[in-house]
Amino acid sequence: MDDNMIELRNVTKRYGPIVANANVNLSVRRGELMTLLGPSGCGKTTALRCITGQVTPDEGRVFIDGVDVTDVPTHKRELGMVFQNFALFPHMTVYENVEFPLMIRRIPQGQRREMVMDALRLIRMESYAQHYPRQLSGGQQQRVGLARALVYHPKVLLLDEPLSNLDAKLREEMRFEIRDLISRLGITALYVTHDQAEALALSDRVAVMNAGRIEQVGTPDEIYESPRSRFVADFIGLSNFIRGKVLAIERGMAIVAVNHIKLMVPAAEGTQVGQDLLVFIRPNDVQLFPVDFAKAENTFEGVVHKLTYLGDTIDYRVIVAEGVQIRVQTDGKVRFNAGEAVKVCLPEARCRVILE
Amino acid sequence: MTALAKRYWHALINQKKLFVYTFLWSFFLWITSPFLIILLKSVGRNWFGKKWLPPELTLDWYKWALTIANIPQVLSNTLIIAAIAVTISTLLALPTGWALGRRKVPAKEVLTSIILLPRMIPPIAYALGIAQIFYRLHLVDTHLGVALAHVAICAPYAILVLSSTFEGLDERVLEAAAVCGASQLRTFFHVTLPLVLPGILSSIIFTFTTSYNEFTLTLMTYGPHTITLPVRTYLAVGEGYWEVTSALSIILIIPSLFVLFMVQRQVQPEKLVGGFKGV
Repeated sequence: MDDNMIELRNVTKRYGPIVANANVNLSVRRGELMTLLGPSGCGKTTALRCITGQVTPDEGRVFIDGVDVTDVPTHKRELGMVFQNFALFPHMTVYENVEFPLMIRRIPQGQRREMVMDALRLIRMESYAQHYPRQLSGGQQQRVGLARALVYHPKVLLLDEPLSNLDAKLREEMRFEIRDLISRLGITALYVTHDQAEALALSDRVAVMNAGRIEQVGTPDEIYESPRSRFVADFIGLSNFIRGKVLAIERGMAIVAVNHIKLMVPAAEGTQVGQDLLVFIRPNDVQLFPVDFAKAENTFEGVVHKLTYLGDTIDYRVIVAEGVQIRVQTDGKVRFNAGEAVKVCLPEARCRVILE
Repeated sequence: MTALAKRYWHALINQKKLFVYTFLWSFFLWITSPFLIILLKSVGRNWFGKKWLPPELTLDWYKWALTIANIPQVLSNTLIIAAIAVTISTLLALPTGWALGRRKVPAKEVLTSIILLPRMIPPIAYALGIAQIFYRLHLVDTHLGVALAHVAICAPYAILVLSSTFEGLDERVLEAAAVCGASQLRTFFHVTLPLVLPGILSSIIFTFTTSYNEFTLTLMTYGPHTITLPVRTYLAVGEGYWEVTSALSIILIIPSLFVLFMVQRQVQPEKLVGGFKGV
């Protein structure tokens, strides 16, 4: 366990009848940036508060740097934390805000000034030292929040939706700035967010949470390419789900019957003949062809039901068979009209199977 | 004056501005003219008939007021009563305001209305009830008694201001302090207290001025030993010396103005009103 900087072991937390965390196991490795990703109300905030100590789990233990801190109060856990609403001290200047953790630790005056200025330099805010938080923009305030969290070189950095209160463009800039800063410092970080794009762009690993449970932990690539549950597939990126029954399995490929059409998909481990399962494919992996296109694997006739112009892509809803609607996103090079007959191709290699 | 005339000249060209300026100046005069008249009355001698200004200036009326009306004694009564009322109100309002502002209290709106009730009832009706009870308890004509009567209308103010102050205190800022390593005690002294201090100060100022200016409730509970400035001024009217009454009024106003300027200089007014939700 020496390699884990933060570890939640079998943590359960109930609020009356509501189970906020159900037997959560989570480990963040030393020097890693892990994202805890999930919709609001999934329990990610409770998990984070178990780590900070503002919530004591009903069951299970919390470890930081190999030490059981379950019963250690928040202020003795040596954490750095960045808040969604910045949570700067409104009555202190930028300098005093960043100095606060050092003052609390009774670090001598001279050394303190050096550390504060180092931290401010890190976020390029040296010239704002004497400003008050209310005089700064949201992005600047969050950078100060980051400096305050990092100034005393904490063991771990926790980030609670730090970019949610910023506008879209700034959010993207800050995303890279935070990633860059964390890599440079080599600090262990746990980043809580509901924004899947943020999670994929930032993380070394992502833990997807739903309804109080961790659904899947993996690299962004694993999470996106091979989600293990319908929830993960649905939550991260766009997905088509097609329910069907396994007719046969040959050479690693399963033949799945969906109404009167048959799909060839790579069989997942444990797939059995006769089983009901979900096939999922991303809308931008589906291909559209004119109706006279020669027949290939997994290609079906359909009718364009609806299309939406999204700028760089066009979003089609194609009805393939009764009750089977497939969403397709293509670049705008070949266009089809609503009501037009088309051929829809679901490339075998891009189809995934989710056993339920 | 030339600058003012110039501004009016420009305003004449722009009629909308003329209207605004005239309105503001009328309003200003309407607010200040009673004070001006009292001020002139208090320093004028032989000011009768149709004269615009008093023919002679004098400070005699102030000397009269100080000796005949026994100002030092009356002022000290007023301040002692205000101090007791402020202390009791603040001690009551701190926990109540905290509970109303930060805890989940059932039927919060109903509770708030009940707390505000003494301010809704006509003071004279309320004062009569208080007087009857206080006679039985021998609280009439004691500093504590008069102050307690004042608390009935001071405390609602204090509770209202403090609950809004505490409500505006961001929980996550306190959490941030804890994460930064501050114990509860240090969080209180370094973060909580500096953040709520303006609110507490404004509550104290509001309750102080309320008690200092209170008339009706004092009238029903005072006695020879606890006469206060507003009541003394009122009695002077009955005694028929308009000039002395005016002088008393001016003496009454001075501490209020002093407090007002203190507030303006020490505390940012925007922090006084809604706690500090804007910060």
